[in-house]
Amino acid sequence: MTRWRWRRPSTRGLLYVGAVLLALQASFPFFWMASTSFKPPPEVFAQPPSFIPQDPTWDNFRRLFTATGFLVYFKNSLIVSGLAVLLTMVVSAAGAYSLTRYRYVGREKIAGLILCTYMFAPIMVVIPFFILVKKAGIENTHFALVLAFTSFCLPFTLWLMRAFFATIPIELEEAALVDGAGRVRAVVYVVLPLALPGIIATSIFTFILAWNDYIFTRILITSDELKTLPVGVQDLFHSALIDWGLIMAAGMMITIPALLFFIAVQRYLISGWGAGAVKG
Amino acid sequence: MGLLAIAPALFLILALTLYPVAYSIWLSLLEKHSFFPQERFVGLENYFYLWKDPEFWTSLWLGVVYSIWTIFFQIILGVAAALILNETFVGRGLVRGIVLFPYMIPTIVAVILWKWLLNDTYGVVNYWLLAFGIVWDPISWLGADHIMLSVIVISIWQFFPFVLLSILARLQTIPPELYEAAKVDGASAFRRFVHVTLPQIRGILFVVILLRSIWMFTKFDTVWLMGEGAGAGRFIRTLPVYAYMRTLTYYQAGLGAALAVIMFAILVVCTIIYFRLFREEADIG
Repeated sequence: MTRWRWRRPSTRGLLYVGAVLLALQASFPFFWMASTSFKPPPEVFAQPPSFIPQDPTWDNFRRLFTATGFLVYFKNSLIVSGLAVLLTMVVSAAGAYSLTRYRYVGREKIAGLILCTYMFAPIMVVIPFFILVKKAGIENTHFALVLAFTSFCLPFTLWLMRAFFATIPIELEEAALVDGAGRVRAVVYVVLPLALPGIIATSIFTFILAWNDYIFTRILITSDELKTLPVGVQDLFHSALIDWGLIMAAGMMITIPALLFFIAVQRYLISGWGAGAVKG
Repeated sequence: MGLLAIAPALFLILALTLYPVAYSIWLSLLEKHSFFPQERFVGLENYFYLWKDPEFWTSLWLGVVYSIWTIFFQIILGVAAALILNETFVGRGLVRGIVLFPYMIPTIVAVILWKWLLNDTYGVVNYWLLAFGIVWDPISWLGADHIMLSVIVISIWQFFPFVLLSILARLQTIPPELYEAAKVDGASAFRRFVHVTLPQIRGILFVVILLRSIWMFTKFDTVWLMGEGAGAGRFIRTLPVYAYMRTLTYYQAGLGAALAVIMFAILVVCTIIYFRLFREEADIG
């Protein structure tokens, strides 16, 4: 018979314990959200709680789509985030091309200026922004919101795109120019295809930032039919009795698009991170 | 041609970020209602008012408490987790993907998730604490006594993946030869961390601590959403939340702007001190 003896825990064992804890802390809350969203109301409040829904139902999702403004908020989120991506990408692709391909006085200063704007947190920008938007008479419009998201995203998309463009060898364009292509043709047929992975990754980061925004929408949008998802979902709390099943279903429906996009760009993430693809 | 291509970006940054920030300095010198057009120049009166306003000092203190605890634990956990995920083991890719989820989701989702987990009557956290006999009575996590602790824990959960990813990206560029040489010399794991890893990640750590400090000190949405409707919201009314409330609850846009300017001034001063103290670290990286 072997006697059990205390052994010094192996480094590998500790490593696996750490990895499992890391995975659990990140995933359990989501598992719990998914579980709750499929429970009928009595089971949501059951004690002890059931981990897997005993009586799974789509009822919470059905009510979310029919009894709340969810679909309107969803559409608004798509429109506003999409337009913000479009505007920031066009502007920052042109800007990044300029910063990596042309030499002019103050080029390095511009790069420094972009980094400086990282200091301006949304809360510091949004208060004056709100007053200015009112003065311009565009309060409570998606247009104001798109501008706000652009102000928030542009510095970092510009920074990120600059890093992507810098990796594209300039000789390829020069070859195209020598072959008689104009600057525009060289950019469209040579540079843009090569920059495409970077453009897609940056677009998705921008989309996630805009999709996740709470503060700008809360402050700039007042009418219900213009609200985006985060604000719309927060307002579900204002009923007297909190309907947790419904709220968790809403949480699921906001999270899934963001996570799908996130999974799609994950492989760009580490390289993007090195280039400063960060905010918030 | 080159300037033409950068012009739209520069214009938008100037018009949408720098101009509003400059305007907020002007706004902080006005007495202005948030919704009506009237405004009156009052000089530094808003600042004098805040100097004597106990709520301002409370919010500053709460903000500092919130920032220090969240930053400290984000860094510790982020570095520890990065060291784990830098090792090779079965399923590493999966764990790497999963740990980033909390950072990628909208704050509103993080907050509703945790409000539900921490619910005093039906929450699974209290259920476990009671079931394992750790506490006898359910803890009111969103009540006056614990709401600061709750919002700190949630913020750490939500934001430490940022530290993790930044450090991990740097760890992957450290040449393995350095570790092999240290091993040959008989250095323990701890000593390898202190003498090989730490000097290598010092530069990125400098940047990460700076960015996280700026972002935690100005963090609005997580704190505001946690406090909203919880009844105990005033126990986590940090400076950004207070600035928001002055502007949109009391409609005093001038005071709100003054608070934003003070926040910015504090950040600038702290950043300068930080650079003075730790600049060598930044250069090493």
